[in-house]
Amino acid sequence: MNIDKINKKLQKQFGSAVKAELSDNIITVKGKLSKWSDVVAACQTAATKYSEIHVVNDIICEEVQNKPMRVPKLKDNALDGRKVDVLIIGGGISGVSIARELSKWKLSILLVEKEADLALQASGRNDGEVHPGVDLSKGSKKHYYIRKGNEMYGQICKELDVPFERVGQYVCFDKAWMKGIIYLYALWRKKHDGISDTEIISGEELKRREPNLREDFKFAISNPSTGCVCPYGLTIAYAENAAMNGAEIFLNTAVTDMQVEGGEIKSVETNRGTVYPAIVINAAGVFSEDIAAMAQDRFFSIHPRRGTNSILDKKAGAFMHSVASTVSLNFGKSHTKGGGTIHTVHHNLLLGPDAVETYEKENTETRKESIKTVFDKQKKTMPSVSERDIITYFTGVRAPTFEEDFIIEKGRKTKNIIHCAGIQSPGLTTAPAVALDIEKMAVEELKKIRAVEKNPDYSPIRKGVPVLNEMSDEERNELIKQNPDYGVIVCRCEEISKGEILDALRSPICVPTVDGIKKRIRPGMGRCQGGFCSPLVTQIIAEFLGVPLSEVKKSSETSVITYGKTK
Amino acid sequence: MRELVCIVCPRGCSLTIEGEGEGISVSGNFCKKGKDFAVSEMTEPKRTICTTVKTAYPQCPVLPVKVSADIPKDKIFEVMAEINKITVNKKIARGDAVIENVLGLNVDVIATSSMLLKLD
Amino acid sequence: MKSYDVVVIGGGPAGLAAAISAKQNGASVLLVEREARLGGILKQCIHDGFGLVRFKEKLSGPEYAERFTELFEEEKIDSLTLTFVTRIEKEKDGFRVVLVNRNGVEAVFTKALVLATGCRERTAKQVMIHGTRPSGVFTAGTAQHFTNLLGVMPAKKCVILGSGDIGLIMARRLTLEGAEVLGVYEAKSTPSGLTRNIHQCLNDYNIPLHLSHTVTRVFGEDRLTAVEISRVDERMTPIEGTETIIECDALILSVGLIPENELAEALSVKLDPRTKGPAVNGQLMTSIDGIFSCGNALHVNDLVDYVSESGEIAGKNAALYCKAQRKEIDISISDKLLYAVPQKLDLNKDNSKTTLYFRSRDVLNGCTFTIKKDGEPVFSKKYAFLRPPEMENLLIDFSSMSLNENSKIELDIEVKNNA
Repeated sequence: MNIDKINKKLQKQFGSAVKAELSDNIITVKGKLSKWSDVVAACQTAATKYSEIHVVNDIICEEVQNKPMRVPKLKDNALDGRKVDVLIIGGGISGVSIARELSKWKLSILLVEKEADLALQASGRNDGEVHPGVDLSKGSKKHYYIRKGNEMYGQICKELDVPFERVGQYVCFDKAWMKGIIYLYALWRKKHDGISDTEIISGEELKRREPNLREDFKFAISNPSTGCVCPYGLTIAYAENAAMNGAEIFLNTAVTDMQVEGGEIKSVETNRGTVYPAIVINAAGVFSEDIAAMAQDRFFSIHPRRGTNSILDKKAGAFMHSVASTVSLNFGKSHTKGGGTIHTVHHNLLLGPDAVETYEKENTETRKESIKTVFDKQKKTMPSVSERDIITYFTGVRAPTFEEDFIIEKGRKTKNIIHCAGIQSPGLTTAPAVALDIEKMAVEELKKIRAVEKNPDYSPIRKGVPVLNEMSDEERNELIKQNPDYGVIVCRCEEISKGEILDALRSPICVPTVDGIKKRIRPGMGRCQGGFCSPLVTQIIAEFLGVPLSEVKKSSETSVITYGKTK
Repeated sequence: MRELVCIVCPRGCSLTIEGEGEGISVSGNFCKKGKDFAVSEMTEPKRTICTTVKTAYPQCPVLPVKVSADIPKDKIFEVMAEINKITVNKKIARGDAVIENVLGLNVDVIATSSMLLKLD
Repeated sequence: MKSYDVVVIGGGPAGLAAAISAKQNGASVLLVEREARLGGILKQCIHDGFGLVRFKEKLSGPEYAERFTELFEEEKIDSLTLTFVTRIEKEKDGFRVVLVNRNGVEAVFTKALVLATGCRERTAKQVMIHGTRPSGVFTAGTAQHFTNLLGVMPAKKCVILGSGDIGLIMARRLTLEGAEVLGVYEAKSTPSGLTRNIHQCLNDYNIPLHLSHTVTRVFGEDRLTAVEISRVDERMTPIEGTETIIECDALILSVGLIPENELAEALSVKLDPRTKGPAVNGQLMTSIDGIFSCGNALHVNDLVDYVSESGEIAGKNAALYCKAQRKEIDISISDKLLYAVPQKLDLNKDNSKTTLYFRSRDVLNGCTFTIKKDGEPVFSKKYAFLRPPEMENLLIDFSSMSLNENSKIELDIEVKNNA
């Protein structure tokens, strides 16, 4: 779309309040608007879906209260003066998968994450679906990577010892007359997306496979390659493998500034000192735009989008064993990949997500309306789901660009940065494939400076903490004989032993907090939500670290659990 | 006239008290304990304290204790302060005194558990 | 494989009483407890008020529990502590119970099972509290564990949601330990806990109780910094525009208990949606032959004395259990009752001393509880008042009512002056 046309449209919608300018292949939208929803609408008007000419949002919005990025309280010099080959910013699925792939090479790799653990933002706050890739347009980066990513999952999860199941997906329809159209659509998609296993199944067949879905579905699209994975489990596993292969992972470490000279990043400021990287990889999620700006390479904008998921008790998990959703007839209106009802790898049911635009990048507060929206929608797929089975809910913030596509490329103005930005759904699915490409780009760049050799000690294999409750009695018995702590059950809901907790504390990236342990091996994830086990887990952590109970935190440094002795 | 809820047992009778001193009359009580409670509330209200006391044993950092008989209500926090000064460093049994005659009230602070005896 | 007549799961007051009574009735018994010490939740309930019915004494939780553990030890009953039941398999003449502990995985066989697995607390998410996920949001039981067993303070300045007994007890407990309790908020228009606890835990310490109010949101990125309180309407829905923010560092929840019946459900034991525990007959046997239920796993009790009592009934009947044809009729309830236990009577059994537990649905003054057989009253008892938080129990002679399989038993409450 040319710039005059854009401005005409903007004029129509917003009068003279906003204006678009095109320069350097960037569309910058400027002006002043009172509501964030109008800002999003204006930038969307200026943007072309999947275009590589991106919209940069410079509109001043009166509603927006610019809260600075939350920076950890920690301040030290642990990284001061450090020279590294690669600095990866962001400990989400993108950053850690890149770190792991780069660890195949003899490089000094440093990954920094501002939160107290990995996968604390979007990577840990999504539905864990490994998408089949049937609903994306050719020419987009999403489309380019999705089949590659999907197909890699079996192997990657095997290497990293992460539970993954190809549970299959059913997109259900209640109008028989649509079958013909959908059949043609599915055929076209098969050809377009190169998926051979997509098929249309009858209502009876659907009922046979998933008897608890709505009675009156007439047919469904079945996508057997759809999978589910534990998204934070995979992120942690990738990071642990990277760490085992020599990458350094620094948590509680935020990038606050950069020095750029002559189109090159010279140094990067963090709360733990100044780092001197040869290459910077921007995998900063909702803050990728801010990192790009620090690097003087801002050519896209992020418009954060909240999504809320509910987790239901395992009892509800038994209702359904795949991913299911119903297509409503307002195609293209909503920006979520539809959401759905998902049987998770841990055998709960997950419902969600919704999609709500927001200017708050770090606001993961849950809201009543979101739960209601999600339930109203998913009840159309499975009427028996009930709010009463909810054990928890959470909100994540996606990081889309206005073009709704990924940015996987070297810096446009700054040469030693590679962006892995605009990552939203299906970013979890594509991550393994994207990481391989970024690895190539980074190595190519580094080879311009110096020789890059293979890491002779690289191993793609990471072993997770054993999951005793999934073992046979014989195997379990054998392990308990070796380590009796495996026989002491601490979390009754998820059946997690003291031995497993100690293993998690001894893992390559030790996060000795109640949430850190919970994310790794699940005590507190069950129906009592840690009511019984959290004091015990706190005690085990305190004993392990040799500190008083009051020193054990929920997650961040300031998330105090107890205030010291009663007397 | 004053209304009170009897706290002696879970029944929680609603008591109505009329008159004062010798001429006090109580109604609404199911049993005699209710009347006694009402009279005590009108003259010198008494309460019990159940709390813990610090121990020298890390596996069992606190030991539950109580006062052996009710104490004046307005002494609760003073008695708590006394209890908080103590560290139990002997393996005592349920019923053993942790503090004898606390604050001269003719009441002991006693252990309500023998858990220390079971420590290795 | 070791074999027992009765395996009791859970070493709290219900399980201890069940094991003792099963043993005293001639059975070989094994008690399985997942914690290191017997006594269950009573170990952390250091307040008094336990045992008034049974011992005519005001005991603290540990004192009450230890009286039973000592009796249990005197009876020389087999027990396994720090032992977790990972699953139970139904076999031809009993059950195979698979246990996990420091020694490994082991299975035992039993003819009868007593499930005394207690209950768990409802969580913040189950009462739809929204907002951030800071530290400082505790269920009352968790706060009690930290305070009374680990000796550490979970709060300095807190708000309590729910006027259940544990919440009230914790309000007083934290006050005694120097914390500031800003108030107790209850969504219902009447308190959930015992009246005496409102008086001795809140009024004595000037802690305000706000009825028809609830917490709708929590704030704080790291530790809790504040909660949002809203007034609720008669359907307990928050009223928009009534929100107020209260600064505090902890939110303590006492919003209900749920019987733990995951093991029972895995064995296809039928539950009563009202009690959320198994539906049982007068012998406290569930829908599955040989499986008995008692204590808070059966229905949430407000007094431990009744927990022990139901344990004794279940334990005794588990010991006497032999596979026999059942002839069961339902005990139905009118809408004046919240629930009643047992839900069934086995006419092939002696029902002359059946303990009947019930709760009224609402606060009722001047009323008569009646048992109707085919619509005709066969038993009645007058009550000055009935309150849902206060469970009633009666010893009923159902055997003398000449019941047959077509008899309809209904429990009802008649209110005289409906003012």
